[in-house]
Amino acid sequence: MTPELRRSVRQGLIGGAVVLYLASVGMLVAFDARAIITNVVNFATVLIVITFAAFGYLAGRPGKGGEPAQPFLLAGAVTGAVAGATVGVVAVLVDFLITGLEWDVRSMWTSVSPTLMELLSFGQSPIVGALLMTLLGFTAGLAAGSLHLATTITRKVILLGLMAFVFGALGAPLFKVMLDGMHIPNRWLFDRDGLTITGAIVLFAAFGLARLGSFRVGGPRQALLKVPGTSEKNLRWVISVLALLGIAVLPWIVNDFVSDVLGFVGLYILLGLGLNIVVGFAGLLDLGYVAFYAVGAYSVAILTARSSYLVGGSVTAPAVAGYTNFWVAVPITILIAVVIGVAIGAPVLRLRGDYLAIVTLGFGEIIRTLVLSDWLKAKFGGPQGLTEVAAVPFFGLNTRDPQILYYLIYAFAGLALFISYRLKTSRVGRAWAAMREDEDIAEGMGVSVIKYKLLAFATGAAVGSLGGAFFAAKLSVANPGSFTLLVSINVLAVVVLGGIGSIPGVVVGSLVLVGLPELLREFGEFRLHIYGAILIAIMILKPEGLIPDKRRALELHQPDHQPEKSVLSAEATEGIQ
Amino acid sequence: MTAILSVNDVDAGYGPSEVLQKVNIYVDEGEIVCLLGSNAAGKSTTLRTILGMVRARAGTISLRGEQIQTLSTQQIVSKGITMVPENRRLFAKMTVRENLEIGANMRRDKAEILTDIDRVFLLFPRLKERVAQKAGSMSGGEQQMLAIGRALMAKPSVLLMDEPSMGLAPILVQQVFETIQQINADGVTVLVVEQNANVALAIADRGYVIQTGRIVMSDTAKAMLANPKLRDAYLGELEG
Ligand SMILES: Nc1ncnc2c1ncn2[C@@H]1O[C@H](COP(=O)(O)OP(=O)(O)O)[C@@H](O)[C@H]1O
Ligand SMILES: [Mg+2]
Repeated sequence: MTPELRRSVRQGLIGGAVVLYLASVGMLVAFDARAIITNVVNFATVLIVITFAAFGYLAGRPGKGGEPAQPFLLAGAVTGAVAGATVGVVAVLVDFLITGLEWDVRSMWTSVSPTLMELLSFGQSPIVGALLMTLLGFTAGLAAGSLHLATTITRKVILLGLMAFVFGALGAPLFKVMLDGMHIPNRWLFDRDGLTITGAIVLFAAFGLARLGSFRVGGPRQALLKVPGTSEKNLRWVISVLALLGIAVLPWIVNDFVSDVLGFVGLYILLGLGLNIVVGFAGLLDLGYVAFYAVGAYSVAILTARSSYLVGGSVTAPAVAGYTNFWVAVPITILIAVVIGVAIGAPVLRLRGDYLAIVTLGFGEIIRTLVLSDWLKAKFGGPQGLTEVAAVPFFGLNTRDPQILYYLIYAFAGLALFISYRLKTSRVGRAWAAMREDEDIAEGMGVSVIKYKLLAFATGAAVGSLGGAFFAAKLSVANPGSFTLLVSINVLAVVVLGGIGSIPGVVVGSLVLVGLPELLREFGEFRLHIYGAILIAIMILKPEGLIPDKRRALELHQPDHQPEKSVLSAEATEGIQ
Repeated sequence: MTAILSVNDVDAGYGPSEVLQKVNIYVDEGEIVCLLGSNAAGKSTTLRTILGMVRARAGTISLRGEQIQTLSTQQIVSKGITMVPENRRLFAKMTVRENLEIGANMRRDKAEILTDIDRVFLLFPRLKERVAQKAGSMSGGEQQMLAIGRALMAKPSVLLMDEPSMGLAPILVQQVFETIQQINADGVTVLVVEQNANVALAIADRGYVIQTGRIVMSDTAKAMLANPKLRDAYLGELEG
């Protein structure tokens, strides 16, 4: 067996294992219910095909020097076939255990349901099913491997077309609601919960052709600039105005549920921007960021909830609302968060990297334990938390309506966005960047490391507490269950996915990690699996994130210190000249 | 006349390890003084102690008669002492301009900062050509210019330089030392640390030799250059 072949087989085994993993955690069965093209193919099958294709594609990838590691088609086909066969063989074995030996496999492994077995064998007998699965792998791998033979343009056009069609299908229920809301006929495009065949072809062709067209004129930006009378500057204006308009009309073309989800995305944008200041700008890894979310929510709850101890014994009186209203509570909340941010930051200033992460992790848990405790139950309400938090008063509008609250949340997210941009390009932002790169020398240059670290903690805390404040007002409760370690992890994942230090990255990260799982209900259940997979994929394929921060990208792609030797030789030639 | 900078009987070290022992150095206003010594003699530690990055455990450090050994590095920098660190240690991922701006980080006079950037560009025209380039992508010589420029942005009255000749080709070493003379002529007092005794003594007024954390010799530069004991006893094999 040649090394190349061995590599293909290995990739194939891994690919098969991935599919088996998806099956064994229950993802395949869950996704079986979601159609891609109604009555033709569902998402479970597509997921299997994507996995086979992805491994086939990777196996055929050119080697380091740019020369093909092995003939693309062969590598792809072998990998795909091995992956398919692996899945098939395991399915046959499991079927034998169940029907032949009459083992109750399901009592140990709940996901091994008849639905799954039928899904894996395409409704045929196990042996035929295994052969079909191998054939499917072979075809998918062959097709994916052959992408390497195509020109870059063709490859990108095909990939974008496929992505448009898969995402179009997954978002079908949402898009259908939007189109219905705008009274646009869409029966030809969407069918119940998936695409129609026409719809699939149209989506693939439309996006593929658009991409091809934009290639012809050198990218979408160039294409737009070709339109008479446009320049870089007014193009940027037009895009910003369109984006704002889009954000403004969005709640009215989607339903209440989607507005609600968008509200949560907005909250995570706030949280992400806050954490991005701490982690991205100042380079301080904070794993307990949920603390400030909790501080914001509880402060607003205590100040505005009817159940708050500040209201005293008069809770029964229906006329009594909270102690004060949201707009008075917010500045107080921010102040409290800043004080706590500095109090948490001060003792850990001298810690670096991993140590800081562990300590902040602890602080996040301490806050949660405190609000949960019996000791402070009179103030924080123990496990039930504080209920009946007042709605945000806003010119008599009903801000419990997600479509209304949406605007308030995004107004504040916009403010946080603006502050982030200003901070990043200011003297403070430069000092943070210097600190991140070389704390010692930054200090030696007179940068007050302590002051700037505290500033980062305080700003991050303020923005995060704002997120918490809106959270409490949105759900009208603040309870310890909402402020677990998982929130810290989610926010950090948002920042990392978008690109550490990147401001637009936070927006994209929130949409992908918070918006998508809510909209694709089937995903929600497997959120943690998907987080893990996305983060691993990002780390391998695009370690600088989806929308990389320029300076960070450089940090990841350049060795820290250029080898002395190359500097010296550059020097030597310079000397001779 | 009292010295602009004086280090009196200073002990300093890292954790349990003692490095400096009863170090005495003074620098008069307008002088170039060099501190010579072999590897690990304690030269860098001396500069870091003056700047407050390593704490003096005993003794005093004065700037214009005022004791500064208990001040923070930031306060010391604003009082007019800055350093060009060993190996330059630029912020490699930041542009030339951003590096210079960091040098002026604790200053508030915006307009003056702009004219000072122009002044650095006048001294090093090469930097002006590369103003938007990442510092890490420049040649060693250019990096040394930027490191000096960055230190000058704090408007120092005393400039500490840690082995400016390190890793540079001879012709560039010459240039760097000419620049030091020029900066000195503009009114900046210089304390330069070197292993390369010849170049340093050639421009210095006076010199010190440090060995395992103690000052073992001090004299005028001229006398030291003529002293055969200097090379044999203290710097020996280093003059390759
Ligand atoms: N950060 C540090 N921690 C512990 N010991 C150090 C540190 N820096 C330097 N030293 C020790 O202090 C001594 C003097 O070092 P240094 O001042 O850097 O010497 P020089 O600059 O003359 O080469 C050496 O023995 C070195 O190992
Ligand atoms: Mg040294």
